[in-house]
Amino acid sequence: MEEFFSDCVYVGRGISFTLQLLTGGFFLGITFGTVLAILRHNGICTPFVKGFVSLVRGTPLMLQMSLLYFAVLPLLNIPMEVLSTGILSFGMNSAAYVAEILRGGIESLPKGQFEAAQTLGIPRFYMWRDIILPQVVRNIFPTLINEIIALLKETALISVIGGMDIMRASQMLSAEQFSYFTPLCIAGGYYYILVLLIEKIGRKFERASHHRPAGL
Amino acid sequence: MSAPLITVQQAYKSFGTVRVLEAVDLTIKAHSIVGLVGPSGSGKSTLLRCIQGLDTLDAGGVTCRGKVGFMFQDFQLFPHMTVLQNILYAPRLKEKGAALEQRAQKVLEQLKISAKSSVFPMHLSGGQKQRVALARCLMGQPDILLCDEPTSGLDIVTTTEVVSLLQSVCALGVTMVLASHDLEFLAQIATRVVFLKEGHVVADEEPCDTSSLKERYTTIFSHKE
Ligand SMILES: Nc1ncnc2c1ncn2[C@@H]1O[C@H](COP(=O)(O)OP(=O)(O)O)[C@@H](O)[C@H]1O
Ligand SMILES: [Mg+2]
Repeated sequence: MEEFFSDCVYVGRGISFTLQLLTGGFFLGITFGTVLAILRHNGICTPFVKGFVSLVRGTPLMLQMSLLYFAVLPLLNIPMEVLSTGILSFGMNSAAYVAEILRGGIESLPKGQFEAAQTLGIPRFYMWRDIILPQVVRNIFPTLINEIIALLKETALISVIGGMDIMRASQMLSAEQFSYFTPLCIAGGYYYILVLLIEKIGRKFERASHHRPAGL
Repeated sequence: MSAPLITVQQAYKSFGTVRVLEAVDLTIKAHSIVGLVGPSGSGKSTLLRCIQGLDTLDAGGVTCRGKVGFMFQDFQLFPHMTVLQNILYAPRLKEKGAALEQRAQKVLEQLKISAKSSVFPMHLSGGQKQRVALARCLMGQPDILLCDEPTSGLDIVTTTEVVSLLQSVCALGVTMVLASHDLEFLAQIATRVVFLKEGHVVADEEPCDTSSLKERYTTIFSHKE
């Protein structure tokens, strides 16, 4: 029992790294993804955004991350640590998905909402920030929560380039003990608890926002 | 004679192969209430949208002297904002302070909707939404107000209210163009009626009463090609 407890502590050392990757990646993803979705809506940049989204979705995340860490950054002579590289690649990857999710939400809003803003002389920045995006985010909120959960599970790929996350910690413990079962179960337990937490927080936000009406 | 407030010259507009406006000429003087009538698909909405600048003409020109407000057929209130937020949001971007809030309260009172100022649009009736949409336009202090089907979806009592509401707005010095196929409504309010048929202006006259307007409408639109 005591041994199990110390195993939990051992694997638990990875939690902080996993969470940093998750939050960094998600915030980069949502910010950049929003910019992409707006650029895509506005016309001229549409082909570039489409191309980016298509490439990101059409290749494995593990490959994107390896490409960035082992090839692109060294070639450009940019030294970057594992965490930053991870956040950058998870963020860019997530941005493509977030942009697609937002696009769906933006397209499902009545065109009249944009036109009403236009006839009232509301500048574009304010229109997006205060009229369009609040409605869109409320409508796609559950999908965004799913995206965070997917991202959390994908952070386990960081072991390809190193970094002490939950998965990596459990692998090291396995190597020490020559046994996989307990360390992997502990890691699974941690991921599962984190997913449940995200769902719970998500539902709380959703309920809070549903006190005010969304959509039409 | 003062210069016209709105001038449309030789306006052409097509959507793909569908010709919607053809050689439309129209001048509108200040302080008039112009009704734009015609069957569904005759180009009323498109003409209003081109005057506002929501759509661009393929050829010809539109000039408006003064600020233009636009009332959508389905109002397009912002569903995530209260009534007060709906009408204050845009003017607040340009102007701050208590004077603006007071003006908002005044407009809401004038349109008899102040009791609903902290309510969200989804909890309003059609007539109330109409008032809020009108209030939102008035907050921009327009010289010209373009209304697309202002009585669609309203019952007769509410329609009568809209008539007096719009008349009071006209009394403030706002010139109005109303696209509508509600002849009873137009006969009550319009100082001039422009008939649109397949994108052409086919008649332009002063209305008398409902029955003669209906007669005119029937003669014009039952015409064989
Ligand atoms: N955005 C659009 N795209 C394609 N066709 C359109 C569009 N808007 C209007 N139309 C067409 O233009 C014609 C005139 O429409 P509209 O101006 O809405 O007429 P009305 O308001 O008099 O009913 C219709 O045949 C309609 O189908
Ligand atoms: Mg119409």
